[in-house]
Amino acid sequence: MDAKDILGLPKTPLPITQEKKPQPKKDSQRKPDGISREVYALTGGLAPLMPSIDVSQLKKRPPAVEKISWEWLPFTSSARKDNLQLYHWVRVVNGVPPTGDYSFAKYNKSVNVVKYTDEEYDKYLVDSMWSKEETDQLFDLCERFDLRFIVIADKFPLSRTVEELKDRYYSVSRAILIARAPSHADVSGHPLVKDAYNISQEKERKRALCMVLSQTKQQERKDVEVLAEAKKIAESRMIARDAEQSELPVKSNAELESAEMANVPGDVSPTSNVQFPSAEVAPSTLASLRMLHVYLRTYALDQMVQAASSSAGLRTIKRIEQTLQDLGVNLKPRVPTKAVCAEHLELRKEILTLLNLQKQLQYKEAESSCFRDGSYTDIPGTPTRSHRGVDLDRTFVPDSMGFGGERVGKRDQKRKGPGRLSEAPSSPAQSKRPRKLKASDL
Amino acid sequence: MYGGDEVSAIVIDLGSHTCKAGYAGEDAPKAVFPSVVGAIDQMDVDDNASTENNSGSALDSKNNIRIIDSDKGKGKRKLYVGSQALGFRRDHMEVLSPIKDGIVVDWDIVDSIWDHAFRECLLVDPKEHPMLLAEPSFNAQQQRERTAELMFEKYKVPALFLAKNAVLTSFASGRATSLVVDSGGGSTVVAPVHDGYVLQKAVASSPIGGEVLTDCMMKSLESKGITIKPRYSFKRKEIRSGEFQTVDIDFPSTTESYKLYSKRVIASDIKECVCRAPDTPYDEKAYSNIPMTPYELPDGQTIEIGADRFKTPDILFNPSLVQTIPGMENFAEITPSLRGLPQMVLDSINKCDVDIRRELFSSILLAGGTASMQQLKERLEKDLLEESPQAARVKVLASGNATERRFSSVWIGGSILASLGSFQQMWFSKSEYEEHGASYIQRKCP
Repeated sequence: MDAKDILGLPKTPLPITQEKKPQPKKDSQRKPDGISREVYALTGGLAPLMPSIDVSQLKKRPPAVEKISWEWLPFTSSARKDNLQLYHWVRVVNGVPPTGDYSFAKYNKSVNVVKYTDEEYDKYLVDSMWSKEETDQLFDLCERFDLRFIVIADKFPLSRTVEELKDRYYSVSRAILIARAPSHADVSGHPLVKDAYNISQEKERKRALCMVLSQTKQQERKDVEVLAEAKKIAESRMIARDAEQSELPVKSNAELESAEMANVPGDVSPTSNVQFPSAEVAPSTLASLRMLHVYLRTYALDQMVQAASSSAGLRTIKRIEQTLQDLGVNLKPRVPTKAVCAEHLELRKEILTLLNLQKQLQYKEAESSCFRDGSYTDIPGTPTRSHRGVDLDRTFVPDSMGFGGERVGKRDQKRKGPGRLSEAPSSPAQSKRPRKLKASDL
Repeated sequence: MYGGDEVSAIVIDLGSHTCKAGYAGEDAPKAVFPSVVGAIDQMDVDDNASTENNSGSALDSKNNIRIIDSDKGKGKRKLYVGSQALGFRRDHMEVLSPIKDGIVVDWDIVDSIWDHAFRECLLVDPKEHPMLLAEPSFNAQQQRERTAELMFEKYKVPALFLAKNAVLTSFASGRATSLVVDSGGGSTVVAPVHDGYVLQKAVASSPIGGEVLTDCMMKSLESKGITIKPRYSFKRKEIRSGEFQTVDIDFPSTTESYKLYSKRVIASDIKECVCRAPDTPYDEKAYSNIPMTPYELPDGQTIEIGADRFKTPDILFNPSLVQTIPGMENFAEITPSLRGLPQMVLDSINKCDVDIRRELFSSILLAGGTASMQQLKERLEKDLLEESPQAARVKVLASGNATERRFSSVWIGGSILASLGSFQQMWFSKSEYEEHGASYIQRKCP
């Protein structure tokens, strides 16, 4: 109630719209200058008649005890030997510039390089490969460049390797140190004395590093390739060696014939019982055979047969076997010597070829017959075409004649093969017209 | 504090193409202008030149006209320095460069360039500021002494330091050991830096730089029938709104060198806009069918540039390509002995001690104007990976911002160096100069 009086609000509750007008008045009273509303609220909220805190005072900094100014003043540095005066900005307090050395002078560190006199040189340091001038130059550079030997080697007027320079420097320092020490025990703890510079080891190390770094990526690749090749050769040699090891006579061949083809050579081993103690299952047969260093010719033959007939399907294999049986040849040779096995394999291959060619011939004949049947709508060709057609017919006839039964002769099949292939594309196209002519002629 | 102490040193980098000058401690040079001057021999055109100059100076107040008495007493020669002065065509003005093959041959021009930098660009009095100058990595002793003399005697600087470009570039990237490939206007230099010092015996340099590439581009375009007209030689008049007609103006007494200079400016702009380093070595057949890029010349002509975009940068990698460009025969004589950029890098590293080779391989820095060409870094990295040893990891670095890299990695390094607190003991001061002579600089500035 009192608040309302103070603020000048009417005592009765007013609608919202009218309340907005007094609000700006409230705001202007509330909003202090310079501090946020919340902070002001901490001091007691709305303004009393007399503000208890002077707002402007809250922002004032505490009065500085000293007077700070920045000045552009000259300075010297103890790190310099001359008295060069450069200028820089300095924080001046109460008009008194800071005293003391240049703050960065303490970073001027250098290496303590041993200094020898001429007598010491003559007494201890004479060396066949190094003259006094060179040694002096070396030490001068060492001091200037803080023992950065690579840079020293670069700046050294005569061309010496980094190892030589290091060697000379360390041996000289060591000799001087030992010579100057009252007794050896005092300096034996010094690193220079304890671990002498071993130049040969360094040279060797660098040479090795050089070799490592000189192998370019291409050489690396070649090396990898060569290694892979070598591995392959070694493996194949091992297989061949296993394969050609003891050719043990296989005793129980009679039982082999009754065994199944190809996939279970593990059965073979129990039948030829004497030599093979272990009867393993098929996947590990190879391993077991190799272990026993046995060459089982039948097994090898089976492998080769499998390889040869891998391009053909199962049906073809069956047909081959059928053919073999028709011809009166055993599926597995009775006496599996080397020559016999070779001949058997050869036979199988030829039968495979025969079967393939037969199949092809069937296809082509089917094609040509369907072309013959479907060619009635074509325009009759020129007489020249018919000539060709006749020739084609003639060539056809001997083919079909020559192909009588299942002859195992190689030559006919081979001749037919390429001949067929070259004629085949042209024949359907051109056989249309002459065939038609023939039919119409007939 | 961070280790810096501002002594208001001034850093100047006088390159073969541009000169950069500014205060140490800043991140970019205040003054960048071409490091060639226009010279009018005063003997021939005394009155004419002076009347022209009067009218010229009304137009362009930043002209720097200085009458310099050359040492040999040739006569007075007016030198015009700065991009504005050079941009204004004057009769009989020859364009001269002070630097040939990396060494200074004409000290007057250098003097005028410095003077222009101090008085016109930076507006400082050299007496009050120590100077840090950047010099080529294989500078001769005599040159350095001459520089010191000039600085101390003429400009009376309180202190001087000569730093090698490669070292400054290395510092700009925060490394003490690196291999710096500086490919600037006049030449390409590969220099290894170890612990802040350049290994002189392993520095490799080749004269193929940005200017050679610009010339190749120019000759190649001319052989295709495109003529580049210098800016002063035409005027564009507006006949109708939006349409311009180019009118050729003839200035018979313009020197050849000025004409060439103006053409070069345009050609180098073409080169910067359009050229890219090819990913594989340039092959005539492979690049004969690539799409052309259009470029509009200042006179309004639009030209198409195709295979040259890739051929020109590949000269850096394969200098013998220069021989295939008609018109560059005189340069082609020396190309058989030149090696490409990757080869130079490998040679340089292999001349260094074995122990640091790995580190050098993993921090190869690119600097200089030409090095900011697009795809150059990738191509160089690829080529180096082929030939470098398996055991070393190859890494080519370039500062991220292209402008930074092209202008100023040397200058920035100088700015950093001159504002370090621990550098202040290394200045070669005037008193030392007076005490020991100019040859002391060899000791003070290794």
